[in-house]
Amino acid sequence: MANQETQLVDNILIQSRRKILTLGATSLAGMVLGAALPEQAHAATTYTDNDILNFALNLEYLEANFYYLAAFGTTIDVANAASTAAGAPLITLNQTVGTKGTVMGGSKVPFTTVTVGSYAVETAVEEGKHVRILQSALGSLAVAQPAINLSASTGGAWPTLATAAGVTGGATFSPYTSDANFLVGAYVFEDVGVTAYHGAASLIVSPSVLTTAAGILAVEAYHAGLIRTTINYLDPVNASGYLTITGQISTLRATLAKAALLGAAGGAYDANPDDFGLAGFSVSLAGAASVTSTRITDADSTNVIAFARNTTQVLNIVTGGGAVNAGGTAQISPATGVFFPAGLNGLFK
Amino acid sequence: MDKLNSIVDKALSRRNFLAGAGAVAATTAIAGCSNDNVAASSSGYTDADILNFALNLEYLEAEFYLRAATGVGLQASDTTAGSASSYQTVGSVTMGYAAQVAGLTTAQQQILNEIAYEEQEHVRFLRSALGSAAIPRPAIDLSFFGPLAVAAGIYTSVQPAFNPFASFDAFLIGAFIFEDVGVTAYSGAAPLISAAGVAAGYLTAAAGILAVEAYHAGYIRTSITGRGITNSSNTYIAIANQVAALRAMLTVGNSAAPSTTSSVETNLVLPTSTTTPSAIVAADPTNAVGFARTVNQVHHIVYGSPTVGVAKGGFFPSGTNSIFATTTA
Repeated sequence: MANQETQLVDNILIQSRRKILTLGATSLAGMVLGAALPEQAHAATTYTDNDILNFALNLEYLEANFYYLAAFGTTIDVANAASTAAGAPLITLNQTVGTKGTVMGGSKVPFTTVTVGSYAVETAVEEGKHVRILQSALGSLAVAQPAINLSASTGGAWPTLATAAGVTGGATFSPYTSDANFLVGAYVFEDVGVTAYHGAASLIVSPSVLTTAAGILAVEAYHAGLIRTTINYLDPVNASGYLTITGQISTLRATLAKAALLGAAGGAYDANPDDFGLAGFSVSLAGAASVTSTRITDADSTNVIAFARNTTQVLNIVTGGGAVNAGGTAQISPATGVFFPAGLNGLFK
Repeated sequence: MDKLNSIVDKALSRRNFLAGAGAVAATTAIAGCSNDNVAASSSGYTDADILNFALNLEYLEAEFYLRAATGVGLQASDTTAGSASSYQTVGSVTMGYAAQVAGLTTAQQQILNEIAYEEQEHVRFLRSALGSAAIPRPAIDLSFFGPLAVAAGIYTSVQPAFNPFASFDAFLIGAFIFEDVGVTAYSGAAPLISAAGVAAGYLTAAAGILAVEAYHAGYIRTSITGRGITNSSNTYIAIANQVAALRAMLTVGNSAAPSTTSSVETNLVLPTSTTTPSAIVAADPTNAVGFARTVNQVHHIVYGSPTVGVAKGGFFPSGTNSIFATTTA
């Protein structure tokens, strides 16, 4: 569809939007809606759309490996009969930007319900495609897959995170042992993906890149809706405690996200807390007395706009607090811990 | 700064015109919806025009979900015209079967409460962001589900009209008509927001509402699929796919989906084992990137007409209150 004229127009748009961004977040604060843009990590750093896509690629490496292991029992760079039958892309890992690492832990979930098993397979295939399209879009600039910890063994990423969240029996938590535990594991990732792509959207310069990012944002939110809906159906009145666990995970994420603001004012959709579990809440419909609502959507309660997080906040979540010093005064780079024991590859780390 | 914005606005308008100049096969409109050919609207538009376009859709969704959850629609105070809007008449709602959905369990009722609340708040948010420029609620026809179901081949014209308020399963089909469309409408609109609008926070707001629409779509598609698995029945999955096929027919030839030139639909499937994939996500099959639709494509769907130059019909019997109200491609 692009021709010479649309290309020229795109160039004008790109240059214009870049100019606006260079004004920085502070000068734009309060212009409309009484709110600022999401606070930008590395505000003084010059970055490009490719740096943003590479940040996303690190997260997609993590998600894709988790779902491939859960659904097929293999990592994204190794095909087996199950992954081939499902149409999951086989990912090439020959990128040279950054430090290439290996994936530790993870195993196929012995799914017992068609519902959860088929959802896992679908999600694995889609996250694999996200890795592939980001690698393809970035070409030789794509970062290598960093070291990833998906282990449920003692000291592994999952028990560490579950313990930090205060989940009962967290020290032995594994997302690979049952359908329900797999859903909890998926819950850890999906809403984070939404906030990361949402936070990045207004930083992207190229309209075509923005369209792709918006499309991936939509898919992450479909996944999040899928996972949250399924947990809700599984345990609608918290009889098995799964609604409680989602609340504990959301609270941990919100705490880590708040710590990573480093005292700066949050953006328009970066309230605190910026995350809610599945426990119901009260709403007023058409002016009537309050009634109880589920919380399938993870969004602010007033405007119902999904939350956004900047790269430092996302880093602090996926590294379990690894992006911020104990005093909460400065940022550590590279951030390491939990899922990314050696940190991410690329500019934002 | 003003000069820069002016350049950007002109560039956006020009780009949109170029991108929308695809040929469209004009076929007959759905029986029961009226057509009205009026002159094409102006080619220039503002960020407020984009937000008001979205507000039309949110009015429709809110009226549907609020009535499904409670039997009552938007409060009058949530439907009025901003003082500076060029539209000043609040439209009426044609009810059809609209009523609280029958036979809901407590869990189902609470989920309807959530979606109704969230769409109500989207109406309020957009109205607040637009201020005096906010459009009033356009006329909305909730009886259009009937002709639409006939057009989709779900019902015949001799049967009583399809009633999305009759049961939870029927409600899910009614919701299915809207939800993927909401996602794609915001995806299509996001890149049209000007640089000044990005700075003003419009883009991040639009992206955040896009995400919420996708949560809702994920909920609806998960529910239809899950109930199919539970009941070992393809019935409602097949019906949803007929709706998707109708949407595709209404917009054929005018695709704006990234990475694809064909359908912007993903059919639901009934998984038969733990190793076969479901199809909850609506996205292009190559890259798993969600679809986008242009303002014209969205209007074709909500008007129930693939014809270019149509200004009203379907769910909007007097047209949307939008400079995009007349389809131009």
